[in-house]
Amino acid sequence: MLDMILSQAVNGLVLGFLYVLIAVGLSIIFGLLGIVNFAHGAFFAIGAYLALVLNREFGWWAALLAPLLTGALGVLVEIVLIRRLYGKEPLLGLILTFALALLFESVLRMIFGGAPLPFAAPRFLSGFVEYGPILITKYRMFVLAVTVAALIGFWAFLTYTPFGRIIRAGSRDAEMVGLLGINLPVVFSFVFGIGCLLAGLAGMLAAPLWTVNPTMAAGAIMPAFVIVTIGGLGSYAGAIIAGLLVGLTTAMTIQFQPEWSGAAMYVLMAAILLVRPRGLFGEKWERFE
Amino acid sequence: MLWEDDVKDDQTKGPVIGRRGLIMGASSLGATGLVSGKLGMPYIGNAAAAEPIKIGMIWAKTGTIVDQSEYLAQGSLLALEQRNNMLLGRPAEIVWLDEPNPQGAQQNAERLVGEHKVVGIVGGALSSFALAISAVAKKAKIPYIAANAATGDLTGKSCNKYTFRLQPPVDVHARVLAPYCADIGKKWYLLTAAYAFGQDIKRAFSEYAAANGCTLVGADEVPVGTPDYSSFILKIRAAKPDVVIGGIAASDLTTFLKQWNELGMRGRIPFAEISVGNTDLWGVGPEAADGLYTLTWYYKNPNNPPEEQAMAADYEKKYKRPAADKTWMGWMGMKNLLDAIERANSTEPAKIVEALEAWSVKRGDIDFGYRAFDHQMVSRLLVASIKPKITDKWDYFDVKAELPATPSGVARAFGNQAESICKMDSL
Repeated sequence: MLDMILSQAVNGLVLGFLYVLIAVGLSIIFGLLGIVNFAHGAFFAIGAYLALVLNREFGWWAALLAPLLTGALGVLVEIVLIRRLYGKEPLLGLILTFALALLFESVLRMIFGGAPLPFAAPRFLSGFVEYGPILITKYRMFVLAVTVAALIGFWAFLTYTPFGRIIRAGSRDAEMVGLLGINLPVVFSFVFGIGCLLAGLAGMLAAPLWTVNPTMAAGAIMPAFVIVTIGGLGSYAGAIIAGLLVGLTTAMTIQFQPEWSGAAMYVLMAAILLVRPRGLFGEKWERFE
Repeated sequence: MLWEDDVKDDQTKGPVIGRRGLIMGASSLGATGLVSGKLGMPYIGNAAAAEPIKIGMIWAKTGTIVDQSEYLAQGSLLALEQRNNMLLGRPAEIVWLDEPNPQGAQQNAERLVGEHKVVGIVGGALSSFALAISAVAKKAKIPYIAANAATGDLTGKSCNKYTFRLQPPVDVHARVLAPYCADIGKKWYLLTAAYAFGQDIKRAFSEYAAANGCTLVGADEVPVGTPDYSSFILKIRAAKPDVVIGGIAASDLTTFLKQWNELGMRGRIPFAEISVGNTDLWGVGPEAADGLYTLTWYYKNPNNPPEEQAMAADYEKKYKRPAADKTWMGWMGMKNLLDAIERANSTEPAKIVEALEAWSVKRGDIDFGYRAFDHQMVSRLLVASIKPKITDKWDYFDVKAELPATPSGVARAFGNQAESICKMDSL
């Protein structure tokens, strides 16, 4: 039994990293722009479909462009729609991004049909490795490596680069940063694009594992919201810890009480919010008070 | 629900939606929907006799079953198009509403009856949706054909005079597939969805296992929409069964099979499942597809009657892809209803029900029709396995047999009136 628990724990952590990648883009957009992006799952699905098309037309390496294209689409959406919401009622952002989610799903259905489309991992990533009771597939190890690299890269960018400092300062006091002569609209477009790029990256990585169909966003958006809530709205570190917790909790519930596995993450969220209503790493931000 | 009085204290913190605003917004949305619905389906007529006959159709436009619903809906629409959208010498139209969940299916069935005045309904992609629609059909006394749902309850304990079911129930599928599973090995692992369809499969195969010397080494119920099956697959791997029997539907099955292959289980432990849709496997892809299945219909079955071959040709011509099993089910369910209206020469519900009860065609050596005592369609099933090498992106299956082989075998598989728990009500 101990072997099985160890095996499930490792599997849960790997699954958790995939959830982290989905959630962190959502967390960044909320934390830095104050927008609750209901369309985040739609960008995840768009990333998967772009990867599928690029893979079909040009091969697997071309699929790596999918996150960049998703990010570019995000920048376009920010310029055309989202930037009109800054400083307005939060409800408008919810309505707009919810409508965007429905629109993108319908567009995907119109172009690709409602049926699922096949998409397999590249051959060099097929197979698995076994360490005693632990089994990890090469593709999940690849997902893990890419996720960790993306998280470290973005953290370093925010922490050590001048542009990163501008983003962080702008998220706390946009007016003051603007008065210093910094072109904040460009910064915000970039941030929204990065959030969408991460969603697209998660979609591309999930496509060989999950069913690629227009409704795949639903499977991504709920865990993402739960993770962001548990971690604390806008907290980068919180999203990582919460993602791993959700993965671990789900895997352990499947081992011992599988029929409750769908509800496990919500129970975890409720328990944490009862003890810490701001989430694990939620801060008191003046702009949201 | 957030009431206006409750939120007043929070108004300094940010914008809130008041009760009045919510009601006005909802009313506006409703009015918009009503207006756009009318504008979206124009019919210009100048006499009551030319009023279109409306047929209700409830297939999912959202959710996990939407993959199959697209084909179900296209099949249903094709059935009316093949009649040039005419019925009883009058124009006819299909009103298609969504079924996002059982409650939504029930509400939309009520809308079809109350608002759109449909004369019959076809739909219910999932068993839970079909049961909800069936309850409305019974209450509103409107003929309803459940063309895809397989739960036994529809023609069992929840049967009623107005509900007819095309798909053979889970028990029949299980009686056909279980002997194949037992031939593979005696240690079974059940992985079934946590709703009516999956629970029926769990019960049916558990009963067969107990009666035939097979052992269940594991049985997990899976929530609908599970995105990751790796933890379930690790449990299965540790249990070392001879065969895994699935009871998960549509995109859930697609996801499971992709991950089953990813974790190296394809070809290592056989997988079997009843009543799968072609689309579920098409989405898996040739590299990962695996398993032994029962199918209701297959476009490459040489025994398909000429009328069904013509339907498949019409469908392929229109949609540039082969007809899936779900196309056939949507088409056949709608065709049965339209045939019954023509045969009854009336849109009166009671007469349509009587015509449906009498609807029957010869298919090989069996009568293909709805039984009067429980309104279950009697038909054969295909047992099929995935081809060892898939070269055509649509043609995944090797059909092994069409079962039960004899008319008496068919009768045994479906059970007789004495064995049925249906207590049929009256018109």
